[in-house]
Amino acid sequence: MKLGFIGLGVMGGPMAQHLLRAGHELGVWARRPAAAQALVDAGAQSFPTPAALAEHVDVMFIAVTAGADVEQVALGADGLIHGARPGCVIVDHSTVAPATARALAARFAARGVDFLDAPVSGGGAGARGATLAIMVGGAAGALDRVRPLLDVLGTTIVHVGASGAGQVAKACNQLTMVAAIQACAEAARLAAAHGIDFGRVRAALLAGSAASRVLDVFGDKMARRDFRAGVEARLHHKDYAIAMDAAARAGCPLPLSAPVWQQLNALMARGLGGEDTAGLLRLLEMP
Amino acid sequence: MEIGFIGLGLMGRPLARHLAQAGHALHLWARRPASLEPFHDVAATCHASPAAVAAHAEVVFTMVADAPDVEAVALGVDGLDTGAHAGLIVVDMSTIAPAAAQRIGARLAQRGIEFLDAPVSGGEVGAINAALTIMVGGKPEVFARVKPLFDKMGKSVTLIGGIGAGQVAKACNQILTGVGVAAVAEALNFATRSGVDAARVREALLGGFAYSRTLENHGQRMLDRNFKPGFKSWMHQKDLRIVMEEAHRLGLMLPSAAATAQMFNAMVGSGLGEEDSVAMLKLLERMSGRDD
Repeated sequence: MKLGFIGLGVMGGPMAQHLLRAGHELGVWARRPAAAQALVDAGAQSFPTPAALAEHVDVMFIAVTAGADVEQVALGADGLIHGARPGCVIVDHSTVAPATARALAARFAARGVDFLDAPVSGGGAGARGATLAIMVGGAAGALDRVRPLLDVLGTTIVHVGASGAGQVAKACNQLTMVAAIQACAEAARLAAAHGIDFGRVRAALLAGSAASRVLDVFGDKMARRDFRAGVEARLHHKDYAIAMDAAARAGCPLPLSAPVWQQLNALMARGLGGEDTAGLLRLLEMP
Repeated sequence: MEIGFIGLGLMGRPLARHLAQAGHALHLWARRPASLEPFHDVAATCHASPAAVAAHAEVVFTMVADAPDVEAVALGVDGLDTGAHAGLIVVDMSTIAPAAAQRIGARLAQRGIEFLDAPVSGGEVGAINAALTIMVGGKPEVFARVKPLFDKMGKSVTLIGGIGAGQVAKACNQILTGVGVAAVAEALNFATRSGVDAARVREALLGGFAYSRTLENHGQRMLDRNFKPGFKSWMHQKDLRIVMEEAHRLGLMLPSAAATAQMFNAMVGSGLGEEDSVAMLKLLERMSGRDD
């Protein structure tokens, strides 16, 4: 099967490598050719535009940052829509607004092309280890065709529903996760304020009802004061705007997420956006 | 003066009539022709497009719901810009994002059209009584030319700064009124559920540091259980969305406004969107286990 991949960053780079290693013919396009070099060295073919790449492939993967980036790659002057052949499946791993995903799916459906929104959770480590959780919105038939490829990238692939449903699930993921990170940071701050080692608190809590993946992973980073990015906080900040806008559109109150969002705003203002979201702890230390 | 007016809803209709009553000739366009009916008794010409309105007017006012509506009227097919002559002044009284106002102002400037953002506060009653607060952004000399017209619509007319500054002031206004109406609703609900006469609490508090226009007016309407708009909750929700998007963009922490915005989400989601923002009281009563 001929595959294409656009967006070869922290997430997309290792994902594309997995597909190549699984024995597929892979084409790539990158705004900066240097970004594609590692893949070309590994045997991928480089194309001059997204349209030229799309013409060549059966399945197209996208993993870029924001909705505007996806729209540019998909619908821009040399975008995928000008090259994709009927029957092609586009799998978008980027995190964008559900409404954007639905609009893109409709545009491609008119050309006989299936567009799946397939955002992921698991960060750079999950991409490198091929252990991502992938939440998919779109036609079940299209997912069936690409599922063997997604199995190469992740361990949990869930068809959540129609177009946009994958992005709704991702918004839920981000709200749940960052609120938990904030709670973890507050616990760490409280422990420190009483002169207690948070590492011990965390160890005790992990055995009880407050145990969670976030307490395990982010609690550990906080205890060790390691604020280097896994996932940069600025990306959680970006995703929060998507989630909060989706909530407002639906008339859906999110009373806890709202102040967490404000903490992320403050994190950005303090210049901590390039660090890990565990930096929410640092924010509590510098009021 | 030849004046264009587009957006003849709850707010726009009385404002346009004030201008006609002051002796100005109105040039109108509306998406729905029914909106033009209340103007058969004044000096008003109805046109086929915003472009035609722009061709006949020296100043055009717009008063519509949201930024895409302003953009469609000002810059869309047959928009104001296509009919405009050099020196035309477009005054947008809608509430939209400051960045959107700046974008529209820049686009119009390319065509030699002057632009003011002039959002208002005071609701339908303020519009009917020509008692609005008008917050203006734009060039001082353009403001000076439109000021006599603003004075026919409002009592407090202030030039805040450059284009977009009026919308910043309006965003501040919506933070204060949104958080304020939520606070008044919480206080009155607290009094009632504590077995105390909320009307007496309001009366007592009006004499102290908790006095506010919101406690006085909105508080009274809550006690009267008068939830007719006024200012519809879905519009306040929209305005707080603008505020929160700006806060996100600027890296600003607005925890009280953020919480209040969620209350307005809940109002819209639970069917209170068409009622006045004082229906915040109903939401709190329901969330506290009492149905109205």
